[in-house]
Amino acid sequence: MEPLISMGVLALIGAAATIAGASEDLESDVGSQSNANSQVQLAPQMGYIHRIYNKAIAGEPVSNAMMCTIGSTGALVLIKHFGFSPLFALVIGALIAAMVHGSYSVTAIMGREASQARFKQPIYLDLIRSHTPTIMAFAFLTTFSIEVVSYLMVYSLEHPFPFVLLCFLWGVVVGSIGSATGDVHLGAERQFQQQPFGEGLNASQSGNIVRKGEAGLRNGIDNLWFCSKFGGPMTGVSFGMVVFLGTWIIVVFDPAKGVAMGWLSNLLGLVIVIVFGIWNWNIEKTTREKFGPFKEDKGEEAAA
Amino acid sequence: MSEHKMIPPNTLLAFGVVGGLVGVYLAYFLSPMNPTFVFFGALGAVCAAVWGADVVRRVASYGLGTGVPSIGMLALGMGIIAVLFGLSLSLGPAGPLVALIVSCVIGAIVGIISVKVVGMTIPIMVSATTQIAGAGALLILGLGIVIAGSLDYAVFVKEVVTTGFIMMIYIAGGMAMLHPHNSNLGPDETQDRLLALSAEKAGIAVVLAGFASVAGMGAVAVTILIGIFIWYIFFGKYYAFVKRDAYKVVDTGMLPTEEEMA
Amino acid sequence: MIDIVGLIAPNILWIIAIIIGGTLISISVHFIPVGGAPAAMAQATGIGTGTVMLAAGAGIAGIIAAGAVMNLNQDISVVLGAAAVGAMVMLAATMIVATWIYAYGVGVMPVSAKVKYDPITKYRQDLYVSQGTEGHGIPTVAYVSACIGGLLGGLGGGLAYYALMKVGTYAYAGVTPLEVGNLNLVAIVATFTIGFFFINSVIPSYNIVGTIEGFHDPKFKKWPKAAVASFLASIPLGIAAVVAVGALALVGGL
Repeated sequence: MEPLISMGVLALIGAAATIAGASEDLESDVGSQSNANSQVQLAPQMGYIHRIYNKAIAGEPVSNAMMCTIGSTGALVLIKHFGFSPLFALVIGALIAAMVHGSYSVTAIMGREASQARFKQPIYLDLIRSHTPTIMAFAFLTTFSIEVVSYLMVYSLEHPFPFVLLCFLWGVVVGSIGSATGDVHLGAERQFQQQPFGEGLNASQSGNIVRKGEAGLRNGIDNLWFCSKFGGPMTGVSFGMVVFLGTWIIVVFDPAKGVAMGWLSNLLGLVIVIVFGIWNWNIEKTTREKFGPFKEDKGEEAAA
Repeated sequence: MSEHKMIPPNTLLAFGVVGGLVGVYLAYFLSPMNPTFVFFGALGAVCAAVWGADVVRRVASYGLGTGVPSIGMLALGMGIIAVLFGLSLSLGPAGPLVALIVSCVIGAIVGIISVKVVGMTIPIMVSATTQIAGAGALLILGLGIVIAGSLDYAVFVKEVVTTGFIMMIYIAGGMAMLHPHNSNLGPDETQDRLLALSAEKAGIAVVLAGFASVAGMGAVAVTILIGIFIWYIFFGKYYAFVKRDAYKVVDTGMLPTEEEMA
Repeated sequence: MIDIVGLIAPNILWIIAIIIGGTLISISVHFIPVGGAPAAMAQATGIGTGTVMLAAGAGIAGIIAAGAVMNLNQDISVVLGAAAVGAMVMLAATMIVATWIYAYGVGVMPVSAKVKYDPITKYRQDLYVSQGTEGHGIPTVAYVSACIGGLLGGLGGGLAYYALMKVGTYAYAGVTPLEVGNLNLVAIVATFTIGFFFINSVIPSYNIVGTIEGFHDPKFKKWPKAAVASFLASIPLGIAAVVAVGALALVGGL
């Protein structure tokens, strides 16, 4: 298709992907899912009873794949069998996905905390009532954004995969990315804010999450507030880059025009990877110089 | 762990295999007469999901080292490949049975490879992967016939695979098998609570499969109603079990005091 | 009853390609630095996702790229290159943002606890590890290792996808072959490739058992076991996939 229209669609997809990434991470922050959840799960065992929403739905990639697939199933059925207009169908599909995700969240927190009865962890129903709608709202955003990305890829950029399959695939990818990037901000920073800044979590502090916050007891929405300042948007940038850059290299150098063009697009992707590699090395160098080592080199001192 | 009586593994195996096959075959033979009868496939899928969830519970309690979702994804992956292979042979009524057997064989091969080559030390690994692959295959067959209306290969591919609904079956069915153990993880896990949750999640999958069905509005309406009914009944049971098992279910409250913790 | 032998015989080359693809996927999982849950608490080096899901995420990005490119240009080198690059770009974008969060949000530098000197930059590692942790962040050696992993994983997934598409577009005697753009064919090939990818990601994860930092990690030496396991497991899977895809043209009406 015309390069100009492709670039416009691409920009829209990139924006939708950024929103999807941010809302995916924030949803896992308010509900403490996957990685950082291991500490929330450990806390009652170490005697630290908490009021954090212990939602554990099999890890973010699978959970996000599920909500995106269910949303897109609902949308596709409405478009094909009931003749709804696409935008309306995408919204209703996302609503269905949010409701299913809400049901999974509620059963997850109740199940996890019921299985910790011997550690005297109570189930706080007000927590469930206040956090679940927030979780469902973010699930709605994530699902809708991923549906938009997939719908445009299939019907505008003419990607051959089925719409529902593409939503599943992007759901897995956004879950992996959210788990790798945004969860670090929650797990290493907000969840252990009482530890000194500038170090990793000492294994001896496992389970000692922050339970008493700035004013009152810490809960998932407090964690969400903090992570929405950095972790969430960064995850959005990451997923947006994956979707945008991955598709951009094919639009700039269209493989349909010949093998040489196809290889140019692959090389462009390789250049992007190398640029990020150099950036990573640069950050590694500057943080080592600026932050300095934790220990002195005893071997050199003894030799001196 | 619990003083409640546990349902023995072989009972659940029989329940899953017999329930699943009976459901799929009833749907297969009755649907040409009236497409609404595909709902039997959904019931078969629920039986298979409950069976699979219990197998996941037993194998994961040994410590897989890599997380529970992986075995669910493994099971459904094998299930998809085996079902599509079995249906592609166009053997007519023998198709579902061949698909189930092929899935179990592939599951056994992967299990044996995991034990002999990779060196996993879980005692029930081969039996577990075989059973989970079989449960996955029955899930896909059951929900697939609900959506497609028949198990004829061309129809199945066009209505279930090309639309992408097979991924919905994959993930919603897979979650019905692996979510119960993952969400009830803890020292006070009880089997009946876990199985109730599995049935409830399978109910959600049935609602979605019914919604996507092309077997006519009758099938759509009946299957969705059955799915909502299953979901409602088992959510109620699950909540009752949660209240039974939890330390305390409170409306609101502060953290327990020192005296309460002692 | 479909003629199974008639379907397998002309496609032996593609079955072998699928088996090689599965083995490559299995090997690639060992290169990708996985920190798991501890990495999200800055307690372990690597990316903070589980082994299976990170490898699957990278491979999936590769398969999406391969699907898009194969629709436009069927040259094998272009398709495989696109798959490899797709996987690498996904990992690169994930890792650079993770490094931003580690450096600016948590305040730690990328460092490995498994080696004293980074094999590539020759930076000293052990002095910069926080107390009580097993390293944190993504040092350069882990980044390079991840790129190699993405390359191999994308290649493996792309190879399986390409092979199955070729099986589907084969001209059997007396049967109209399907086209590359046939949506039914693409859907079933993509579904198979995804399922195949998941299975070949789970098997090496059973081998790794938890976290791995890349090719400099002592656990990396275990890769032959997973490679053999995936090779053996891919044989029945490859045959089943080829029969099911090949039967599509024979069934007709699509």
